[in-house]
Amino acid sequence: MGKIIVVTSGKGGVGKTTSTANLGTALALLGKTVVVVDADVGLRNLDIVMGLESRIVYTSMDVIEKQCELSKALVKDRRVDGLTLLAASQKNNKDDMQPEEMKAICEKLGETHDYVLVDSPAGIERGFSNASAGADEAIVVTTPDVSAIRDADRIIGLLQHAGIEPINLILNRFSPQLVGSGSMMDQDDVLDILNIDLLGIVPEDPGVITSTNRGIPLVYEDASPGSQAYMRIARRVTGQRIPIPELEQRGFLSNIVNWFTRNR
Amino acid sequence: MANSIVALRAYRDGLHLIIRPHLSIAEVEEAIQQEMSRMNQTLVGASVQIDLKCPLLEEEEMTYLKSKLQETYNLTVRSIETFDEQAPSPIAAAPTTHEIAQTANTQNGRDSEPSRIIPYTIRSGQAEGFPQGSLIIYGDVNSGAEVRAGGDIVVLGALRGNAHAGLNGRLSAVIIAMDLVPVQLQIGNFINRRAINQKPRGYPEIARLGVEDVIIVEKFVKF
Repeated sequence: MGKIIVVTSGKGGVGKTTSTANLGTALALLGKTVVVVDADVGLRNLDIVMGLESRIVYTSMDVIEKQCELSKALVKDRRVDGLTLLAASQKNNKDDMQPEEMKAICEKLGETHDYVLVDSPAGIERGFSNASAGADEAIVVTTPDVSAIRDADRIIGLLQHAGIEPINLILNRFSPQLVGSGSMMDQDDVLDILNIDLLGIVPEDPGVITSTNRGIPLVYEDASPGSQAYMRIARRVTGQRIPIPELEQRGFLSNIVNWFTRNR
Repeated sequence: MANSIVALRAYRDGLHLIIRPHLSIAEVEEAIQQEMSRMNQTLVGASVQIDLKCPLLEEEEMTYLKSKLQETYNLTVRSIETFDEQAPSPIAAAPTTHEIAQTANTQNGRDSEPSRIIPYTIRSGQAEGFPQGSLIIYGDVNSGAEVRAGGDIVVLGALRGNAHAGLNGRLSAVIIAMDLVPVQLQIGNFINRRAINQKPRGYPEIARLGVEDVIIVEKFVKF
């Protein structure tokens, strides 16, 4: 029986879909069998980020309406073994699906895969309850700004209420330079408020935009800092103990100050 | 609050005698006597400004009061100012819309109150209340969360959200937190907003209703 993990955030635009695509691909690169499930009915995006847009024939809605078998609706990613996508219907809306139906799909997928990653839509309404219905665990994605953190806090409260445990955090779009200059919250501030375990920190990486537009998840490019961060996160998800590296937090100015004090 | 009708306060421009709503001039007189006896040294020859925070006094009542102050306490009345109680004072404390019955016994309300312990962090969107008494929270109250209590609120963590103590009008209610960085504080029907994004000070703080009905926040040492 595989693990069913919902990737969620509350606020939109903090990197749920990017995290799902990269984490899913990274887990597959580590040799696991993974299915990524888009739960954002009516506003699907995961297929684009994964570059599988053109190959979708059936969606989860077709499975629910018994138009096709679940196995037939899975789109295989040809770049890596063991990675498949279950797309969301773009023409329906979130109320057309029941949480129990989503739960049944996730549980069935869990029988045949090591990991089922469910990409949750933003918000706390039906889309969220559909996405989290079948989840054993949750990954909350947030950026280090107050509005995203307040929404993450709300979502954590709802997940706890639903009995989903453990809940881990991905701190996305983290900029050590901005933290160094005092204009961004650091990881301790964020963890102090949210009070859940940190799964990883993904640094701000302009490569994300190009990778999204090209439909090639970042983890295929070994050199980029974002890719390395997602690979580390994937290893932690599989249970490996990998320390979170200290990100260089010094800004340009403090580097100079530091250079002077060091040479005194 | 030792004396709810009359308060003697030293401000930058000198002594002020604050007179609040009362039933009779005799009551004021008695309150003045109480307030003066509270002072350790006599204020011989000092001049005071009278701040009227009550409906205007009659001409003869005023004259009587002035002569009384002069004769009994050797205080000269330098000026008289009237304040409109309805207008909010510049430093905060705007009354809210809901009505709260003012209880006469504000001294020992705490003794007879039950309390409720919440053994977890209250997150955004969650609300906890205990109108019957005081709330003790073993955790944080995060931004977007709300706690309301009839009595005191004690947060053994950071208070980042909204807190409303003294729901039933017990104005002696206080709010204590290890890190007091709320969005909004309310005691009875008085609201105080602090600047948002204030950094924690690193020591526990207490918020309570001070004179002038302004919520004041200070370092918490002990009850």
